[in-house]
Amino acid sequence: MRFLVAIKMAIHDRSTTAGAVLGVVAIIFLVGQQLSVFFGLLNLMSVLPDHSVADAWVMSKNIRNSDSGNLIPSSYIDRIIGIKEVEWAEPILIGSGLFRRGDGSFEPVRLVGLKRPRITGGPWSFIQNDERALLDLESVVVDKLDLRKLGHPYLDEITEIGEKRVRLGAIASGARGFQGTLVFAPLEKVREISRTPPGRYSAILIKFIENSDKERIVSQLREILPNCSVFSSEELSKLTRNYYITNTGIGGSFLFSTSIAIMIGVVIITLTMYTSVLSRKKDLALIRAIGGRKRDIFVIVISQVLFIALLGIFIGFLLLSTLLNYTLGSQIPSYLPKEVFPALTIGALFVSLFGSLLALKVALKTDPASVFH
Amino acid sequence: MSNLRLKNIAKDFYDGRNLRRVLYQTNLTFYPGELVVLSGPSGSGKTTLLSIMGLVLKPTEGAVYLNERDITNISDNQAADLRFKNYGFIFQQHMLIDGLTVLDNVLIAFAVQGKKIRNDQKNRAYQILEKLGLKEAINMQPLSLSGGMKQRVSIARALVKDPLILLCDEPTASLDAENGITVMRILKRTAIEERKIVIVVSHDSRVFPFADRLIKIENGQIVSDTREHYT
Ligand SMILES: Nc1ncnc2c1ncn2[C@@H]1O[C@H](COP(=O)(O)OP(=O)(O)OP(=O)(O)O)[C@@H](O)[C@H]1O
Ligand SMILES: [Mg+2]
Repeated sequence: MRFLVAIKMAIHDRSTTAGAVLGVVAIIFLVGQQLSVFFGLLNLMSVLPDHSVADAWVMSKNIRNSDSGNLIPSSYIDRIIGIKEVEWAEPILIGSGLFRRGDGSFEPVRLVGLKRPRITGGPWSFIQNDERALLDLESVVVDKLDLRKLGHPYLDEITEIGEKRVRLGAIASGARGFQGTLVFAPLEKVREISRTPPGRYSAILIKFIENSDKERIVSQLREILPNCSVFSSEELSKLTRNYYITNTGIGGSFLFSTSIAIMIGVVIITLTMYTSVLSRKKDLALIRAIGGRKRDIFVIVISQVLFIALLGIFIGFLLLSTLLNYTLGSQIPSYLPKEVFPALTIGALFVSLFGSLLALKVALKTDPASVFH
Repeated sequence: MSNLRLKNIAKDFYDGRNLRRVLYQTNLTFYPGELVVLSGPSGSGKTTLLSIMGLVLKPTEGAVYLNERDITNISDNQAADLRFKNYGFIFQQHMLIDGLTVLDNVLIAFAVQGKKIRNDQKNRAYQILEKLGLKEAINMQPLSLSGGMKQRVSIARALVKDPLILLCDEPTASLDAENGITVMRILKRTAIEERKIVIVVSHDSRVFPFADRLIKIENGQIVSDTREHYT
């Protein structure tokens, strides 16, 4: 009953209630949007280790992310496949070059060379043709969202990267990188374009046989390859994400804008809830005078806060999902893991309660004697 | 017989810097079945006295007894509980809650206790509202009622709990003559027929004819306390 009374009062006070709801909506929408960009960028950062089917990566000593390392010799592959739990070990070669656009201008690209015929470490989802395109030495694969930057090449169009002839063999989706435009090509082609010496690779991707003890094999690999960095794919993904978060200012800027969004929300909620309690002071005094206890006032105010918070959370998520639907498949990276929804809900509830502390304090102090004045 | 008794009640207030006595040694006992009018000039301490009787204000000195039980130093929760069970309040302003219907307003004391409202409580509310000529207004919002209707709703809100004590502070002050008389008739009937302690603070002379007992207060002191029968 207290809850109903509280809600009827809140509904009657449309403007203050709407103001407080707006505060909650702002928190959900702004923080949710920030988070989606943040997680979207995280996905780009570690796109290669996340989507390689490999269990472990071997790169040069002391790397700080998956995108930069020295070359390592191909002889390591022989040592690696000596371990009986290793199903396969495949090299990749990362290089760079200038992609010639249709209009004759150039776009710098990051080349990921994949070894035929297994071509591991490459795109995993295609919208035109598939990975078999990379069996052809001439062929390259780019992401559909990068087509614009590359001057809208059409499928099978012939162009050049680093003055070497290539053909757009397939178009992938979700294979965008954080560090420049990714172009996947056969390993020999990348070697030719970036003129790396033969027998040298950027990384070796390793797949273990099923149900093997990954940790143990990784430490075994570390023992036999003392001059290399050996990481499980998850470790490399984490390392790379941490590297970019701390070294690019993305982490700081995300924290900053999120805190601002939360602060704005808290201020709006605090002010509107305070105003709402002040405007209801006479009613609260009446409720106290006719026998309402402090705890009844507490329940009434908290009910109003919960009502406002839940309404705001609902509207906020509605707006957020509209925005996400709209940005999905656009240039703006956006991704919200499922866990974000309950976390944001709990966060918004918490922040709403925090914003109502002042109002609650005032409400609980209501003097029942004031009904007579 | 049930009663409300004030023994040696005094009250001091801080006005800015100084402690000022606004109510001096007051001894009063109230019994059911009569309508008491408490009258006096503005600032004489009427509301202060009423607030102490109504357990919303603690006296500086003295004791309050309800049915011979000392309730001067009870806790905040106990006071709320006694107010809920034994007191009905009527104010100069109707003090209805906007956003709640007439029925919701009448049942508000039950609603905020955090329990489901029982059917007998609801039925009593309907009966009282009907008796006060508010049957048509049951589902209306306070905003759409006239001043007289609002005051009658606030009387229904006080009566629905069937309290022993009815405390009214200037209940007719914001009403025209006709509505004022209606309200006083209801209060008088409640005192006599339902044997309640009804105390009306007023300096409105139209109220005096309804008094069974007239108490006059000046500068915080009772100057006269007479039982007379006006008609
Ligand atoms: N909470 C308070 N703090 C300080 N002084 C107060 C307080 N309440 C009342 N007073 C003072 O006590 C005195 C008596 O006030 P009270 O309200 O009891 O008078 P009253 O007889 O009801 O007057 P009125 O007819 O104007 O309503 C006044 O001088 C008032 O200023
Ligand atoms: Mg007064």
